[in-house]
Amino acid sequence: MSTKKRVSTFEHYKILLGKDLRREFRTREMLSTMGIYTLLVLVIFGIALMQTSAKIDIVQMSGGLFWALIVFTSLLGLNRSFAYEKEDGALEGVLLVPLDRSVIFLSKLTANFLLLIIVEAIAIPLFFLFFLSGVEMQPSLPLALAPLLVGTIGIAGVGTLLATITINTRGKDMLLALLFIPLVFPLLYACVSATTLAITGGDMLTGAYTAGLTLAIGYDVVMILVSWLLYDFVVSA
Amino acid sequence: MMTTASAITVQKMSKVFGQRKALDKVSFELPQGAFLSIFGPNGAGKTTLLRILSTLMRPSSGSAEVLGFDLKEKPGGLRNHIGFISHKPLLYLDLSAEENLLFAARLYGVEEPEQRVSELLAVVELTARRHDSVRTFSRGMTQRLSIARALVHDPQLVFLDEPYSGLDPHAVHIFDELLQKIREQESLERQRSFCMVSHDMDKGLDLATHLLILEKGKVVLFDQKDEIDRSDFVRHYHRSVGMGVA
Repeated sequence: MSTKKRVSTFEHYKILLGKDLRREFRTREMLSTMGIYTLLVLVIFGIALMQTSAKIDIVQMSGGLFWALIVFTSLLGLNRSFAYEKEDGALEGVLLVPLDRSVIFLSKLTANFLLLIIVEAIAIPLFFLFFLSGVEMQPSLPLALAPLLVGTIGIAGVGTLLATITINTRGKDMLLALLFIPLVFPLLYACVSATTLAITGGDMLTGAYTAGLTLAIGYDVVMILVSWLLYDFVVSA
Repeated sequence: MMTTASAITVQKMSKVFGQRKALDKVSFELPQGAFLSIFGPNGAGKTTLLRILSTLMRPSSGSAEVLGFDLKEKPGGLRNHIGFISHKPLLYLDLSAEENLLFAARLYGVEEPEQRVSELLAVVELTARRHDSVRTFSRGMTQRLSIARALVHDPQLVFLDEPYSGLDPHAVHIFDELLQKIREQESLERQRSFCMVSHDMDKGLDLATHLLILEKGKVVLFDQKDEIDRSDFVRHYHRSVGMGVA
């Protein structure tokens, strides 16, 4: 007969996160899908912008273009992050374990966040290469990392909750998009504003940049807290 | 864990999905160490009953105690003491056999998980394939691994939801031997209980100490196997289950 010790919530978190990352780095299912999709979206954006006859201020549009790329790519990844949990009842196996079910949310959020960051690390240089290669870089550019980080956390958080809700539905891909985009709109609005300001080098420390970043941080705190609290109900339904 | 003479006590438990009653005031009491076989036509509520008793689903009304734990009040406490074997293996197909068992063992807090995993892999005769991805396994091998996963934390009550589904005759034979081995080994140490949903009447009858037939969400028969005349049961079974639908 085997003996058991009490497992802390943090231990459960580490075990679940380790499983998600081990599986992903072995199969590269999400990373390769999101990476290729990123490249395709960049090419399509490039072709679309090349076709325009009028002169477009690409720098002013860059924040919006970049976040559109991140949202489309993350939707693809978020769906896949739960597809394998459903396969052969693996998630049910985890639900049978005596653990705080909100830990499943936190570990999945972390895994999705890390994978999105990896994809963004590939997407950012390509984005600059495609759209901003001839543009003079502003000293404020490094400040774009803050909305990038805060926005990615929010997308991973909300997306993880919604992916769990839609996992058992028919047409889950469409449903996730329909729920996700309206729900992350405030976050996107704030992040696009802050990112564009950082790229264009506007008056950084007044109004818009700080307001955008504050809104994004507030959104993350509220949405992740709500998701954490709701997760047991959602995953048990 | 609380000490109790009953493995499962269910009182007037119902489960409603929209307008449909999947379970309708189900009541029964199963002693510890018993093997309950649950029969019934498709849609009778067998799997729903098992999912509620294993904390995967919440009942709409009524109450149930499993191993002394109230299902509504203390589902978390109960999870440490139950195992679940389904026709779905509850495994990550892209992880190896060993990784799957270690993952489960660590989540349950099993002491010396590596040693426990090695023991279980030997029991289910998968030691040679321990590093292989589960995706490369046959259905029978996957099912054997799912048994090991369900037993990794040494549960006192094991739920089996149509465990023979999709197995070829050879895999059925291995599964039977394995189940028998587990029952013989464990009964020497303590009273492990089993609760199985099956469409295979002969298999269910052979293994059971107690029998239960569900029909349209209601218990139409529950008794010890020894108290029931086999031919009477078979007649009852065919009248209820033979229809094919609830």
